[in-house]
Amino acid sequence: MNVLPNRWNLPDLGLGVGLRSQHFRQITERWPAMDWFEIISENFIDTEGRPLYFLDQIAERYPIAMHGVCLSVGSTDPIDFEFLDKLKALSKRVRAKWLGDHICWTGVAGLNGHDLYPVPYTEEGLRHMVSRVKIIQDYLEQPLVLENPSTYLTFAASSMPEEEFIARLAVEADCALLLDVNNVYVTCRNHDLDPVAYLDAIPYEHVVQVHLAGHTDNGTHCIDTHDGRVIDEVWQLYARVHERTGGRATLLEWDANIPKFSVLQQEVRKAERFRNGAAKRVAA
Amino acid sequence: MKADGADLQTLECWMQAVVMHPEGADAGLRSRPARRLVPQAASDPESVVLPSKALTSVERLDIYAHMYFARLLEVMEAEYPTTRQILGAHEFAVACRRFIARNPSRSRTLGGLSAKFPDFLARSLSRGHRNGLAIDVARIERAMEDVFDERRAEPMTAAQFAAIGADQWDKVRLSVNPALRLLKLRYPANDYMNAVRGGRKPRIPRPRATFAIVYRRGYSVFRRDQEPEQFKLLSALAAGRVLAVAVRASIGGRSRSADRLAAKLGAWFREWAAAGVFTGTR
Repeated sequence: MNVLPNRWNLPDLGLGVGLRSQHFRQITERWPAMDWFEIISENFIDTEGRPLYFLDQIAERYPIAMHGVCLSVGSTDPIDFEFLDKLKALSKRVRAKWLGDHICWTGVAGLNGHDLYPVPYTEEGLRHMVSRVKIIQDYLEQPLVLENPSTYLTFAASSMPEEEFIARLAVEADCALLLDVNNVYVTCRNHDLDPVAYLDAIPYEHVVQVHLAGHTDNGTHCIDTHDGRVIDEVWQLYARVHERTGGRATLLEWDANIPKFSVLQQEVRKAERFRNGAAKRVAA
Repeated sequence: MKADGADLQTLECWMQAVVMHPEGADAGLRSRPARRLVPQAASDPESVVLPSKALTSVERLDIYAHMYFARLLEVMEAEYPTTRQILGAHEFAVACRRFIARNPSRSRTLGGLSAKFPDFLARSLSRGHRNGLAIDVARIERAMEDVFDERRAEPMTAAQFAAIGADQWDKVRLSVNPALRLLKLRYPANDYMNAVRGGRKPRIPRPRATFAIVYRRGYSVFRRDQEPEQFKLLSALAAGRVLAVAVRASIGGRSRSADRLAAKLGAWFREWAAAGVFTGTR
């Protein structure tokens, strides 16, 4: 299988998991086998306590990628450059391989809902977001790695499918993508869409990272709860992405009912069956 | 609806007004701010949000409304476990919901979300020993959150303390660890928290003034009670008083032998040194 390089030659970091405080002590005492860790950026900003103490140690031994939840790229509030400064400083401190957030907005009029709200998929919405992503990337002096969120509603104003909006955003803003295949599954279930068609629309030369996670299926809709194992249908979507890319940094998210670290290791290693014998990994 | 420029802003403000409404999306749609922003949505929500095969437009908005409060409640439950134990899960959740509705987050991080929660409880809970204790415990639990994130400073060593000669007492001021909070309480809240964390089910105590410090040593958070005079002295030192002035102001007026006074001060300063309360002199 050939590797489709991403536009920035960012490395395939291998298989990683989200760094959570429940595992700080075990990681720093045993230094378990794990290719890399992803951090929630905001958990290490505006604090000088225990989380940063452990992160400094972990960043000495493992590659780190920063993934935020409050950049609010789609918001109509002014860009928060003070927050960008904090992201930049943290990125430098942990020598982050890249940093990113979500294709969403999290608040407006100075408030923050601490959730990933969908934008209307319109030409105007696209222009707004492309413009902001370009400004943020210029300021951060690196590509922003943006993730497709799980969404639970569709705006009547939307004039294009989500995957087209994301593809055009990536190309027109020249930003990187974090393709969350669980979110693709959840979103497509919630909007009665075909996840394979969704994946086929993604410009893979912009994809630098893939997310895997569990979700909750409520029958009428799915919620992206990150509280369990990855279901088979999502693994099948991951296989398709791997076929298209030949290898991307892959990360398992598990944020509720967090199990022992060994369970995370076992779960993320399942991705090896799609990766073994595939592309040669670019050195981290 | 178009989503360009001001319209996109209107749409975002509208959705925020709907999903942050404390009574859910249906009430949010009918709320004055939402009706002012997108008038037709109150009677025709499908004109703004499409239904799915399984869910109505309002049900889809309600997913976000539910998650907004559920997520922030989860944060506050983790921050105030003993306050929650005292009030009970339901009453605690109601108080949090009211608090969040009146104090929505304006920060990109969640650390300061509930900074005003103890004051909110003090204003909103009815009088009574259970609620009085809950307010005091909330103040301790809030202080624990604050010092957890506070900047780190190296504590003074015992040798540095010993090097402060008696002739310097009239000049020297002590710098206090930024990760220290002093709390004057109406109830023995620290004892109560210790009992709960020890797995016991203590009764609600009668009021008794207690004086607590909450501090971080290294990266671990601690809390402990102080004697009234000890607390008074530490408060004076934390306020920047010169050492001798602070001692006189807090305990100097009492008739006490010099030996007993020296023994007390020695014990207190050893305790504070072990706790890393002071970081230097100035």
